[in-house]
Amino acid sequence: MDFGLLTQFAINGLMLGMMYALVAVGFTLFFGVLDVIVFSHGDVVMVGGFAGLTTFYWLDAIYPGLSHGLMLLWVALASMASMALLGIVMARTMILRLRSAPPLNTLLATMMLGTVLREAVRLFYPNGSNPKPFPALLPDWSLDMGHLSLRLDNLILFSLGALLIVSIHLLITRTRLGMAIRAVAQDAETARIMGVNFNAIVFLTFALGSAAAAFAGIMNGLYYNEINFGMGLLLGAIGFSAAVIGGLGNIYGAILGGFAFAFLQTLGAVALPFASAYKDVFAFGVVILIMAWRPTGFIAEKTSERV
Amino acid sequence: MFKPMMIEDVYTAYGKADVLSGVTMEVWPGRITCLLGSNGSGKSTLIRSILGLTPPHSGSIVFDGLELAGLPPHGIVARGIACIPEGRRIFAKMTVEENLRMGAYLERSDAKVRANMERIYETFPRLRERRLQLAGTMSGGEQAMVSIGRGLMSSPRLLIIDEPSLGLSPALVNDNFRIIRQICESGTAVFLVEQNVRQTLAISHCGYVLAQGRVVASGTAEELRNDPEVRQAYFG
Ligand SMILES: Nc1ncnc2c1ncn2[C@@H]1O[C@H](COP(=O)(O)OP(=O)(O)O)[C@@H](O)[C@H]1O
Ligand SMILES: [Mg+2]
Repeated sequence: MDFGLLTQFAINGLMLGMMYALVAVGFTLFFGVLDVIVFSHGDVVMVGGFAGLTTFYWLDAIYPGLSHGLMLLWVALASMASMALLGIVMARTMILRLRSAPPLNTLLATMMLGTVLREAVRLFYPNGSNPKPFPALLPDWSLDMGHLSLRLDNLILFSLGALLIVSIHLLITRTRLGMAIRAVAQDAETARIMGVNFNAIVFLTFALGSAAAAFAGIMNGLYYNEINFGMGLLLGAIGFSAAVIGGLGNIYGAILGGFAFAFLQTLGAVALPFASAYKDVFAFGVVILIMAWRPTGFIAEKTSERV
Repeated sequence: MFKPMMIEDVYTAYGKADVLSGVTMEVWPGRITCLLGSNGSGKSTLIRSILGLTPPHSGSIVFDGLELAGLPPHGIVARGIACIPEGRRIFAKMTVEENLRMGAYLERSDAKVRANMERIYETFPRLRERRLQLAGTMSGGEQAMVSIGRGLMSSPRLLIIDEPSLGLSPALVNDNFRIIRQICESGTAVFLVEQNVRQTLAISHCGYVLAQGRVVASGTAEELRNDPEVRQAYFG
């Protein structure tokens, strides 16, 4: 295989890795702060994509001449803000209420919520059961060299994703609110004794995680030029796996886990060029093997490496 | 100077059974008020009731003229109450300095936070040396300093301390009692829960004895020392 093609694989892997990392950060934040696995998180990514698409339709109808850059800004902001709100509503109406119930109930409830979101988009979004073309809002300039094509839109997408992840990371490690998130993740009761408003921190966490998911949804749409109602299923499974690979509750781990999963997929595609459709099977298979190989490794991480 | 904290006829339960059954107490500024009682008598539960972590289902707790029952913990802490919880409960994955900052979480003025931190570092020079170390990697005695320092970071008017001697060497326990005395002399009301009866009564002004969720004895430290029930239970 030539160098150009390999580089192309690497670039695609990085793009996917960024998307997965954005999803995994949510899983890990929710688990860190509340010890819950929010199975609807993948579908929030999907709804975020659709919220972005809807914003685009509106803007395009009201301000047809708006530049693509401004359009993207508004699409991203509207989608992230609405998913942040959805996250807060979820936390308030379901997650916090279910805290006194067995953890299994939260799992089940969020799984059902995921189905509700998926079916709602399929049934109620105009022509929602078909894939929707996503507008190309980024410049389509590219540098082509044999098998390798360096695309400006990918570079911009990757940079925006990186900016978002770095911002979340800085917020959590450097600010007072971030310190409160970490405190709640380590010992919620003691954090409350220090004067932390527990519910507010839970809402903040869900807003952050869901906004990151919304951006992953938009990134997905811009990268594949389409979105569909079912895309959250796989993205959710991948984001969850990535968070587990990195040690649930650990932010660095989730980011690394996202890239690790994309690396596995890419490896699968490179190693099995005759059957690249099996790249997900390969990647998930390796994740299962890792977990079987080091079952206690993850549990130890879980208790020691909170946020 | 503020008025005493008045705890009146407080009932608290986890689930159905009452753990506290009609507790009435006063905690005065400028005094160390101790709370004695055997394991499981409800001492920590009373603290949880005051802080709003396990709110009482009846009774009232008035601090500085304001009813606390019904407020969330962050609302209660904001009135000037701080707690050094049982078992230290430091944030193990945070640095010493972050732990101290958490103690002043509700203080918005960075200048005040810094001034308080400076004061803590003067009391515990060891913490200044270790300020960037993860608190979880420190020795038990150092972690106790972090927990005490954190409790003082908000310059509370009432400091609640739950079994500070637990698991410390006798020398460190002595240090602890000396520091608690200093805290009280600086004008803070101290509500001290302890099992170490002799030393506790030696530094306290007054106190209460709890048994099965009820106050069974109260008075000045001197009176408690001579109380036949206390003598029988603690001094054999
Ligand atoms: N979280 C809890 N849930 C249920 N029961 C509890 C809980 N915490 C304490 N208890 C019970 O309440 C009683 C008083 O406990 P506690 O207040 O911790 O006593 P103390 O601090 O005096 O040792 C004990 O019988 C204990 O079993
Ligand atoms: Mg106790």
